[in-house]
Amino acid sequence: MVALAGWALSSQAAPPEQQREPQKYEIPYRLTDTQHVLVRAKLNGKGPFNLILDTGAPAVFITKNVAKKAGVKLDDKGWGTFERFELEGGAVLEKVKTRVEDLVQIDGMNGLGLAGVELHGVIGYNVLARFRIEYDFRADKLTFQSLKGFDPPAPERIEAKGGDDIQTMGPMIKMLAALSGIKPNFEVTPRGFVGIEVDDTEGKLVVKKVLPDSPAQKAGIRPGDMIESVKAMKVKNSPELLGVLEKLGVGTSVKFTVGRDGKSEDIVVELGKGL
Amino acid sequence: MTTNTKMTHIRWPFLILVAGTIATLGTAQTPRDPGAEQTGDDKPIVVPFELLRSRHMAVQVKVNGKGPYRLIFDTGAPTNLINNKLAKEAGVLKKDEKPAIPLFGMGGAKVLDSLEISGAKLEKVPVMVMDHPTVTAISKALGPIDGLVGFPFFARYKTTVDYQKRELTFVPNGYQPADPLKGLMEKLSRGSGKQPAAVVGPAALWGFTVDEAKDDDDEAGVTVTSVLAGSAAAEGGLKPGDRLLTIDGRWTDTLADTLRATSLVKPGRTVEVVVRRDGKEVKLTVTPVKGF
Repeated sequence: MVALAGWALSSQAAPPEQQREPQKYEIPYRLTDTQHVLVRAKLNGKGPFNLILDTGAPAVFITKNVAKKAGVKLDDKGWGTFERFELEGGAVLEKVKTRVEDLVQIDGMNGLGLAGVELHGVIGYNVLARFRIEYDFRADKLTFQSLKGFDPPAPERIEAKGGDDIQTMGPMIKMLAALSGIKPNFEVTPRGFVGIEVDDTEGKLVVKKVLPDSPAQKAGIRPGDMIESVKAMKVKNSPELLGVLEKLGVGTSVKFTVGRDGKSEDIVVELGKGL
Repeated sequence: MTTNTKMTHIRWPFLILVAGTIATLGTAQTPRDPGAEQTGDDKPIVVPFELLRSRHMAVQVKVNGKGPYRLIFDTGAPTNLINNKLAKEAGVLKKDEKPAIPLFGMGGAKVLDSLEISGAKLEKVPVMVMDHPTVTAISKALGPIDGLVGFPFFARYKTTVDYQKRELTFVPNGYQPADPLKGLMEKLSRGSGKQPAAVVGPAALWGFTVDEAKDDDDEAGVTVTSVLAGSAAAEGGLKPGDRLLTIDGRWTDTLADTLRATSLVKPGRTVEVVVRRDGKEVKLTVTPVKGF
């Protein structure tokens, strides 16, 4: 996303850089379905909110709704300040300036659920510049290294005609979203829990342990049982078993066919709650 | 049927529009060319960038061997983007080719033969042609900017951004970005109506449950409601009543958070689990096992 926003140098509210030793943070992230780099932040202790790391934005941008939840007061130019800006992974900043605006890009993605997750804003230059950030999408975390003795210069207000033209697409996107009839769902529901530890050995999938009071134990699955098929689908290893169970929610009845004492037995497990 | 026909009619322009707006998603047929960026060594390529007054990062980029052009390095752009002028000069568009849809000169998704930033060179790179109004505006105020370098470029390197030194560092990492258009098409073809909630589960067996009430309170964490005897969670020292704060550095404020965090921990990997117990933070280590 590329956006514009500047504040006059004189009105810069950034605090002096704290002169402590540079610190390294492992910041969890996920890639959205739209290939945006998403991190989570607690803003003034509220949240977590889902924010995109965006060097194309000169500052933090958040939606009006989030600003309200986080109790951010706006000045007459649409700017506010977070007293506390905490990134998942432990990096904490204070007095972070933010732009409060419902961006068409964010609205558009949320309206259609394109990102696969609800987006609340972007993290731009005024926060990103305070860290040396390493992006490596083979890993499941980003590395943020705080910079010592560096106070990033504030974005300047520039005369840029048409800088907000992209926002004129807002009504059109909303209309198209309505036309498509798509109603996104950002909820998450748990996969059903079985309660077995398994072992993949020599092309066989064997129950190694049955947890007490688990759905598997209640249904009568025992250690040593060889799992032959689940829901009448042959499974030879744990990835195949996951393939069968992946989309099944709590309360689903699932027939396990296990090999025990040279015979096959059918055992119905009612999937429960748990991790 | 009527709905279907309507969907088919609106889908393509709609897609370009959405893609362009998000700036953008149109990386059609992302080519797979794993060897392209391997120059024989994995030496870091250090690229200075210009910090514009708007605080965007500008880099010098060669497109199909032409240039250099000044582009903005944008981690928030899911695709690379070039304007019509550059597209024509670099032979991406024919001289008399008209934009696919007239708005903002959107020329749709194309593939570049090459994209190079000071020695960091990729071949067969997806790009979107569009006169992005914000880029045009910056260009008018601060000198020529002809596009954006986004995810499909920098994801293929271990990329370090250092504003203090005003340097980008690229090390080829062999990562192959997925094609975002595929997921987008899937989403749009699911049709209308409320979509089902995503089913998420842990990648390994832990052996505990958490409170599933959606707490709107601001207190961090979620309460552990039970720990099964003999489970990985029990061996790691987790106890019922613990306030679970993080798993492997990820916040666990709800059941959904806990599911997401554990969905990323493979069996046999030891991770830090932080709980609050009797008012104190306690760091545990748990090694979840292969199971369901």
